[in-house]
Order: sequence, then C-alpha cells, then structure tokens
Amino acid sequence: MRSKNILGRGSWGLYRIFVTVIILFPFFFIILLSFKSMLDIYINPLSLNPDWAPENFKEAWGGPPGGTGFSVYSKNSAIVVLVALPISGAVGAIAAYFTTLLSPSLRRKFMAVPLLATMLPSIVLLLPFFQIFNALGVLSNPAALGLLYAGLCLPVTILVLHAFFLEFPRELLEAAALDGLGIYRTFTKIVIRLSFAPLLAITLLNIIWVWGETQIGLVLLQGSASQTIPVGILTFSNALKANPGPIFAGLTLATIPLAVIYLLFHRVINRGITMGGVIR
Amino acid sequence: MSILPVLFACLPAILLLGATFLLPIVSTLRLSFSEWPGVGPVEWVGLEKYSELVVNPDFHSSIKVTIVFSILSTIGVMGTALLMGLAASRKRRSDEPLRAIWFLPAIAPATAMAVFWTISVQPEIGIVTQLMGKIGLGRDSAWLSEPSTALYVVIAVSIWAGASFPFLLIVGAIDRIDPEILESAKIDGAGEWQQNRFFVLPLIQPVLVMVTVLQFIWSFNGFSLIWAMTRGGPVDSTSVLSIFQYKQAFMFGDFGSASAVGVLGTIFLLTLGMLGLRFTKSRSAIQ
Repeated sequence: MRSKNILGRGSWGLYRIFVTVIILFPFFFIILLSFKSMLDIYINPLSLNPDWAPENFKEAWGGPPGGTGFSVYSKNSAIVVLVALPISGAVGAIAAYFTTLLSPSLRRKFMAVPLLATMLPSIVLLLPFFQIFNALGVLSNPAALGLLYAGLCLPVTILVLHAFFLEFPRELLEAAALDGLGIYRTFTKIVIRLSFAPLLAITLLNIIWVWGETQIGLVLLQGSASQTIPVGILTFSNALKANPGPIFAGLTLATIPLAVIYLLFHRVINRGITMGGVIR
Repeated sequence: MSILPVLFACLPAILLLGATFLLPIVSTLRLSFSEWPGVGPVEWVGLEKYSELVVNPDFHSSIKVTIVFSILSTIGVMGTALLMGLAASRKRRSDEPLRAIWFLPAIAPATAMAVFWTISVQPEIGIVTQLMGKIGLGRDSAWLSEPSTALYVVIAVSIWAGASFPFLLIVGAIDRIDPEILESAKIDGAGEWQQNRFFVLPLIQPVLVMVTVLQFIWSFNGFSLIWAMTRGGPVDSTSVLSIFQYKQAFMFGDFGSASAVGVLGTIFLLTLGMLGLRFTKSRSAIQ
C-alpha cells in the first residue's frame, strides 16, 4: 500500500514538473530571445547565453522606421483600460448590489440577462459594432472602443459582484436602515466601502480581458496609430518579419507586466474567477 | 422591497447592456437579410444571403474546419485541465504557487502567445523545430505552411493556451469536496487512483459537464489565436467560421452573408448551451 502511494506521488510529481516546464517555456524564451541580436537568434536560438542586444527594446518601443511601436500601443491600451474599467465597475457594482434586494425568484430572472450575455458569441455582435462605429465616425478611436469594452465587461462584472454582495452581512444593512439611511446611501456609505477585495478582483479580471481583446479591436482600430497592444502586435510582427529580436522584445512588453500583476494578486483574482463561476 | 427603486438603480446597466448586446443582435439579424458592402445604403434581399451560403463550398469547408477544431481542441483542453486539476489539488504546500503559474497562459494576450508559437515552429530557426531536430524529428518541416498539418499545430497551441481556465474551475470544484468523504475512503483502503475514480470524478461530474459545454462554445468562437497564427491559411485549411465571417465582411465586402454566418452560428451555440445546461441539471438532480 505504502509503496503504491509513493509511486503515485512520484508520477504526479513528474507530471507537475512536466506541465510547469511546458507552461513556462514560452515566457522563458520570449524574455531570453528579446535580448538576442538577429544573428544570435538565427544561429543559436537555444543557447542560454544571449549576446545582449538592448536595441531590440528600443526598436520595439519606438517602432520600425516609419511605423508604430509599443509606446503608441501601450498608450492606446492605457486609454482603453482607463475608459472601460471605471464605467463597467461603477455601473456593474450598482446593478449587482440592488438586484440582491429583490425577492429570490425575481433576482434569478434579472441575473439571467448577464448570464445569457456572456454566452453570446462575438460573431453575432461584431459587424453592427463596425456599422455603428463607422456611422458615428469613431473608427480608430481608442476611447470609443473603451466605452464599448465597458459594455462587454458588464455581464461578468455584474455576475461576480452579485455573488459577493449576496453574502454581504445582513445585520450591517439592517443597522443602517435603523439609523435612517436610505437604500442608496446605505450602498454608497457602507456597502461600497467594505467591498474593496471584490472590486479589486473584478477590476483585475477586466484589465486582463481588455488587455488581450483582439477580435473586436482588429475591426474597429484600423489605423496603426490607434491600435492597442494585442492588435498592434500583429501589425508590428508583420512589418518586422525578418528581424525577430524586436518582435520578442514587443512580446515581452505585452506579456510580462501583466504576468507580474497577476502573480502579485493571484489569490484575489482566482477567488473572483471561482466566485463568478464562468468567465470568457 | 419594491421593484421600482431597484429598476431605477439598474437603469444605466440596462441601457449599456441593451446598447452592447441587444441592439447589435437585432442589427445582425437585419443585416443578414440585406445586401450591404460596408458603405452606403442597406438593401433588403430576403433570404438570398442564406441560400447563397447553403451552396457556398467555402462555407461548408469552414464548418468542417470549425467542428474538427472545436472537438479536438475541447477534448485536448478538458483532458489536460482534468489531469492538471487532479495533480494540483492534493493539499501539498506547493499547490498554491503551482496553481498561480499554471494559470499564466490564461493571462497572457492570445495574440502575443500566437506570434511566439508561430515563430517557434518555423523551419530551421524556430526553437520548437530545433528541439524537435535534436530528438531526431525533421527540423526542416514547415508544419504551419502545410495545409494538411497547419490545423493540428493550431489545435496544439489552443490546448496550451486554453487548458488553464477550465483547470482553475475544476480545481475549485475539487476543493469544494467534503474532505471527510476522501478521508473515510482512505481509511477503507482506497488508494489515490481509487479515490479519484470512485469519489472525486463522480462528485465533480456536473462541473465537468458544464465546463466541457462552455469550452466547446469558447473553442467554436475562437478567433484571435488562429487569426494571429495563420490568418485562416494555408488555402483556408484553418479558416474557422469567425475567420470566414471576417473575410466575407472585410475582404469581400459582403456584410449580408457575414451576418448570416453570425446568426446561424449563434443559433447553433445557444441550442447547444441550453441542451448542456439541461443535461447538467438533470444529472445533478439524479445525484
């Protein structure tokens, strides 16, 4: 029995190492190759000793001659995030809280709406987005895309925050009512101030989604000066096909900051995911 | 609690959801009965776009590619995610950092990872190709430019990128199992394999079914990863529905049939989603 247990442990142990290596493989090589010159990448890409070519990062940041680089893409991604997150956070938190005050059957009917919305594929939404953005003259406008992302983040924001607000201690709400606070002021004065962790979780989840969204951004941001990081990567890597060094530097800029943020906050983020159940 | 103040508070959310989801669905439906090249007036053509699609061989091939991609990717993702879930839920001290690292592929932007893997499988200079060469597999193979192999490369990358999310949901389900059940099974002499087979798997089955349905829907909708790797090529061998739709609209200027693709795909997925939900419910009712 005992030896069987050790064997079981041993094979899980090997499997855990194997999976970890496969998962870290791209991250490791993206960073390593971003420091190699073109010659080094072509001749011995697998060598663990780069010949240090920091100009890769300079070119990734500034862009190829006459093109756009990650300084512009990062700025656009920042605009999109800064527009999308406060709007979806505020609108979502309000809806998520006040629906908890309804009777259970009515509450479930309300919550069916965001649940259904998370299931809708983008192929049924994408073309009208283009049509509307075109009609309003806001194609290639990152701020307008940010507003659209706010709407797209809303269903998941509502579902995750709703699950949290359901567990908000009733005694606090009753005490507030006894003190004469109305439902709106109870929300702004008490509920919001005690909900830092879930608000942080949903903010981070939305950053991750917005930071990687490509399908809609590709259609709505056509000028390269308006593109966000995931869309810009495609333009950039097409323009630089023969010189992979700056491409890897760009990939480093696109993935590593986000990965660091995640590793710092992974407890909060993972709890948000398991709480909301399902996120695309 | 009366409903009026709640409705009032939810008004911004209702308006934003309506503008983001309801309005576009109605527009897509309308566009699918229309001729519209992307500019100018929208002309009503009835069911013409649908009947065009029915006889379009590119549409047929794209359905086939989508089904092969979705099924193989879902099987690969769920198998990997389940194994990862079982491997990271044994209450070892290293479980927590492991879970964080194993979730990284879900954090990284899909296009960034796609660009990395695309360069890595290039013949001669790609690092995956070079590693393959080291263990005796042909390092001059151009898997991504061969119509017969490109889809499988894309599927493999989609499994790498896609397993982390279901993994976390599965781990969450395993964590929620009452530890006493496994403890008493252990006392009765059940080894780890037997515990997994007779207790863990049956207990997380409703979650597994639900996540499998969702994963199929996500794979079916996949666009960014495939687009970034192949743009649907070579010779449309990786052109899934969402890429077919993109090309119809933005390369051939046929928004009508592109919208019809969106309508048909959505009807298919919603039916599947409803069936999946019903199946999950009846299964958990039996238990």
